[in-house]
Amino acid sequence: MSLERAINWAPGLLAVVILALAPLIFSDFYLSAVITKALWLGIAAVSLIFLAGYAGMVSLGQVALYGVAGFTFANLVVADGGSKVGLNPWVATLLGLVAAVAVGLFLGAIASRSYGIYFLMITLAFAVLIYYFFAQVTDLSGFGGVNNVQTPALIGNPLQDPAPLFYIALVASVVAYALLRYVSRAPLGLGFQGVRDDPSRMRALGYNVPLQRTVAFGLGALVAALAGVISVWWNTRISPGSIALPQTIDVLVIAVIGGLFRLEGAWVGAFAFVALDNWIRGVDVIGSRFNTVVGLIFLAIVLVSPGGLMGIWESLTDRLRRRFAYESRAATESPPVP
Amino acid sequence: MRDREEGRPTRLIILFAALVLALAAIAAGCGGDDDDEEAGGTNAAAGTGTGGAASGTIKIGIFSNNEGGFAPFEGQTWGGAMLPLIERGAKAKSGDPTKGVDGATIAGKNIEIVYGGSDSTPDKAVEEARRLVEQEKVDILIGPLSGSEGIAVANYSKEQPGVTFVNGISGAQDTTLKVRSPNFFRFHNDGTQWTAGLGDYAYNELGWRNVVTIGDDYDFPYSQIAGFVAEFCSIGGNVSKRLWPPLGEEDYSSYITQIPENVDGFFMGVGGTGTVAFVRQYEQLRGNLADKIMGGIFMTDPVILKELGDRVVGVVTAGMTAGDSDLPAYKEYSDALGKAYPDLAGTASSVFAYGYYTAMEAVAQALEEVDGDLSDDHAKLNDALSNLELDAPLGTIKLDENRQAIMDNFLQQIGKDTTGDGVPDAKTIKTIPKVDQTFGGFFSPDTPSPDRENPKCEKADPPPWTKQGGGG
Repeated sequence: MSLERAINWAPGLLAVVILALAPLIFSDFYLSAVITKALWLGIAAVSLIFLAGYAGMVSLGQVALYGVAGFTFANLVVADGGSKVGLNPWVATLLGLVAAVAVGLFLGAIASRSYGIYFLMITLAFAVLIYYFFAQVTDLSGFGGVNNVQTPALIGNPLQDPAPLFYIALVASVVAYALLRYVSRAPLGLGFQGVRDDPSRMRALGYNVPLQRTVAFGLGALVAALAGVISVWWNTRISPGSIALPQTIDVLVIAVIGGLFRLEGAWVGAFAFVALDNWIRGVDVIGSRFNTVVGLIFLAIVLVSPGGLMGIWESLTDRLRRRFAYESRAATESPPVP
Repeated sequence: MRDREEGRPTRLIILFAALVLALAAIAAGCGGDDDDEEAGGTNAAAGTGTGGAASGTIKIGIFSNNEGGFAPFEGQTWGGAMLPLIERGAKAKSGDPTKGVDGATIAGKNIEIVYGGSDSTPDKAVEEARRLVEQEKVDILIGPLSGSEGIAVANYSKEQPGVTFVNGISGAQDTTLKVRSPNFFRFHNDGTQWTAGLGDYAYNELGWRNVVTIGDDYDFPYSQIAGFVAEFCSIGGNVSKRLWPPLGEEDYSSYITQIPENVDGFFMGVGGTGTVAFVRQYEQLRGNLADKIMGGIFMTDPVILKELGDRVVGVVTAGMTAGDSDLPAYKEYSDALGKAYPDLAGTASSVFAYGYYTAMEAVAQALEEVDGDLSDDHAKLNDALSNLELDAPLGTIKLDENRQAIMDNFLQQIGKDTTGDGVPDAKTIKTIPKVDQTFGGFFSPDTPSPDRENPKCEKADPPPWTKQGGGG
């Protein structure tokens, strides 16, 4: 089944190779404002896809959790506004991830016993809660947010040389993908899928279902936190406006456009979304109606291909695969009986 | 199984068809507009070519808010920004000012306008500024609209020395006083300067001693309330409480009930679309507020004033515009705006229109002065802007060393409608000349940024325009 492997891996590898050379191919602006942004938005979306696809938890709290990481980081380093603790940026990064995972586990424990629409509403409540927390606690942020955040020296000034931050985002994306892919095939991930498919049977088998769901939510928070910290490095600022409902919806839209059932879909959706955003705003007739256009595309995808862009890709490759399988079988075996 | 196999490709085809159609429509729209622009461009070039001065194009990006609480004011901002171009011979593309103009020239150069829009958050503002500067490659950027956006964009402008930034109407104090970017200019007063005279009026005319302030929880109202508090407290008044509802709040009832019954009055810094909601809800909970309230800049905005109607007759506000001005230049500006954009007739005194107008007018006058020379990272243009004495409709505007406007401030009282347009009339009762950003010495780059607690309410040397300070 080398063809199958080729179909599975070639496009991904090709994408990574092209991306690795991206600083040579694309302009600085495109590299930073489209590709790097798509990479970290993809990381945020993949945490949602992982939860939705493998644990059956469609969460609207991912953006809020990445906000927890982002705000923790921004408050712990040198910046305008915030609490200006002045820690080393790497230490602050680590603490940001830890804080987001801690909050994620706590909120996950609360939400772990609810399912479906109730789970969705609880996570939406978390999102709103965390937004208002940062909007109203002016010592940590306030509406104007934390500006001119210091980033690790390795990144330099992303406005003048976006390549280092781009590579960091690329590596982080690959790591996030590999981690989630690994987990989804490990016993832990199989447990999540069992809980997704039939919680009562899993309970009967002796699994602690709420604990499983809490752990899944915490893992999702870790990946989302990665996106949150990179988004602060990229913006060099974070404000409650960065983690409000529109961003929550953006990440959901990205996940659906990309495909809720395949991890890769996160980045596919993010690229489609960011490129569209960037390109469409310059188009005279649309300009400010960007959200309308994205909404229409969203509708089209939900109606036509519930698997998103990855779903379309799969059905195309499926046909290809089947045809080859048929031909190779036809060559070796007798024709199938109709 | 068979059905599914056949069903899928059809669905796919529909999707592709829909996508292709959508993309084709966009591409066609885009192409068509490009053609228009090219045609407009060549026409303009031919026109000025016969005059013998045309060479090159200057790209000016303009961005205001097309989403969020201030989106209703986008038309006013664009109308203000387009007017200087129309006065220089350009033609509005349509009644919607955001569509731009045809055939704009300044100093013999063709002007190309690039559209941008943000949503009042600093992130989006910087993202949009980056798109306009780094992708659209604008030479000059006019915007943004809202307070926190301005601080973020001014910070960003430091990274782009080859681009000239002129503020739209964002009014936070820090934007110029703290950030001090060498290529960021603001040709209108900040939120603090806009309150000059209100503290004096409250203390000496209304006899208020104990007041409460209420304002949206972000940088612009911080600046506005800072001005009122500094002035009112310097002459002996007391601000007993400061309330900060979040920006975009629709339900102010819980904040209104926090205003003690026994205060003499309150200063209102709730802005945008929240103003109307606040006034209505106050009326329902506490009755008429006209003798209790002192308004910020938004109360005399023509659009908001129309909705507020007789509820606010008698209220005193302050700001950089005076709709009742009988200066010929102001009449001319107001008539020209109504003529170019009939939908905007009567909104000339809106700070949104006036702020973007002064921004574009300053750019135009400075470009004319340097003959459109943008060489050497705009050195000549920036120099011209810094030293410009902008001859604006309501008086001269000059910049200080932080490239922040020094201009007149007007104290206005809202009265009953006498003109029959359904909008209460705002009557100018006092003009305070040449208010500068230090606000009579209260603020400097070293004083704490205005926020929820700062400045403190303390007795101090009163600013010169107050009765106690020798003015009055």
